[in-house]
Amino acid sequence: MIKIRGLSKTYERRSVLNGLDLTVESGEMVFLTGPSGVGKTTLLRMLYAAEKPTTGEIWVAGSRVDTMSRAELPELRRKIGVIFQDFKLLRRKTVLENITFVLRFHGVPPREAHGRAYKVLKRLGLHHRQSALPESLSGGEQQRVAIARALSYQPRLILADEPTGNLDADLAAELLSLLCDINYQGATVVVATHDHALLESLPARTVVLHRGGVDYDGAWPP
Amino acid sequence: MAAVIRHALAEGWLLLRSRGIISPVLALALAIPVSLAGVTVSVRGWLDPVIDLTDQGSMVTVLLHPRLDEASRADWMKKQSDRHPGWKVKRVPPHELAERMSAWFPYLKDLLAREGSEMLPPLVEITTSEPEAVAALAEEISVIAVGPTSPVNRVVGRAARRLSVVLYAVAVILAASAVLLTAVWVHLEVHRNAEEIAIMRLMGATEATVRGPFFVAVALPALIAAVVSVSFTVLAVMWLAGFAEPLGLPVTGAPAAVLAVQVFGAVVLPVATAFVTLGRYATSDDRE
Repeated sequence: MIKIRGLSKTYERRSVLNGLDLTVESGEMVFLTGPSGVGKTTLLRMLYAAEKPTTGEIWVAGSRVDTMSRAELPELRRKIGVIFQDFKLLRRKTVLENITFVLRFHGVPPREAHGRAYKVLKRLGLHHRQSALPESLSGGEQQRVAIARALSYQPRLILADEPTGNLDADLAAELLSLLCDINYQGATVVVATHDHALLESLPARTVVLHRGGVDYDGAWPP
Repeated sequence: MAAVIRHALAEGWLLLRSRGIISPVLALALAIPVSLAGVTVSVRGWLDPVIDLTDQGSMVTVLLHPRLDEASRADWMKKQSDRHPGWKVKRVPPHELAERMSAWFPYLKDLLAREGSEMLPPLVEITTSEPEAVAALAEEISVIAVGPTSPVNRVVGRAARRLSVVLYAVAVILAASAVLLTAVWVHLEVHRNAEEIAIMRLMGATEATVRGPFFVAVALPALIAAVVSVSFTVLAVMWLAGFAEPLGLPVTGAPAAVLAVQVFGAVVLPVATAFVTLGRYATSDDRE
């Protein structure tokens, strides 16, 4: 599903990633971890083509991302569900609309979009807040709306950037179980986190980034 | 495609609603230059006959020598007509002679009233667009004097032509201001929704999906602007006709072609401007 070769990213002479190689097979669940500033978010951003690498190749779902034209980006991004660290919710839309909005331009008919959005909100325990605006929600609730939105269009690849950062322990466990379910149904899941409790709660493949490259790649704890 | 259109209509309508009173104000702001341009072009049409005066002649009176007999006079007149095909050479009828001479030489008025016009030399009127060329006839032996040449028609015609150019320029400036207004309007909308656009792109929205709502949000007020412009133009031209008619101008209603161009301009111009503006400001490749 993901193939990365010799990936480097430099910001004004500061090197974040340096010759990174990584392969993630379809259906895998992978945790990306490492200290702050090591390039976890940068790597995820390059996977959904929000950033271009300085050098190297990135392949996602059989398509080369780093040389992709602007016109090809929507097709790639429709295959990827991204859970953003800063949620990226639409402030002028309600919780339900934030999800149906995306489903609509993915070509889902309005009635089906509504039903699907409600279902995923119910699964995340947010159906009672469907008419609320994002600003009236707590950080944890906003996080769950962002997750609901990413899951609603059933992408083949889920990229989650610190998804439990704003959740308490119970909700974090609930989210993890949800991601496991999605992974079990066939989606590839890549989670960037520095939450060791999260890593220890699930025996999944863990990639530790350090000094721009892969420091450890295997089961957790090492 | 159906999903893109559905999305564009739904989100475009939301964009319009979110702006509240601003949408109708923008429609009105667009309607004003389009309406004024329509009125300007319609009124300009009334000037055509006045402009034509430029090419029409001034009338010049030529006093021929009294010793010229009837045959020589006819000869002279034929010679002038042959030499200058654009001239209209006409002999002043005897019963109008006194009046013409009094107008030309006011101090003869009393004498002419007393003595009658029998003693007057023959008078010829030449209608021409080249009064200066007629003035040159004064050098001929057969001619005693050439009357005053009035270039009034030409002056009026030229003034009308210049006014017409000014009116066209005003119409072009008004149309340009409509384009500028739309460009600023779309640019502000894109800026206002920049975050939303960026999120849509990250979620896999295509260019058509991103731009569609803006087109709808521009096209709907543009349609309103078209209706307002046409109505305003028809009424304004009718009102102005009331002032122009007593001046002898051949007033007509707003021409259908002008109204059609207004509808086209009010709708197509903003949508085309939106297309260009969105192309420029809303198609950023968001990759850093």
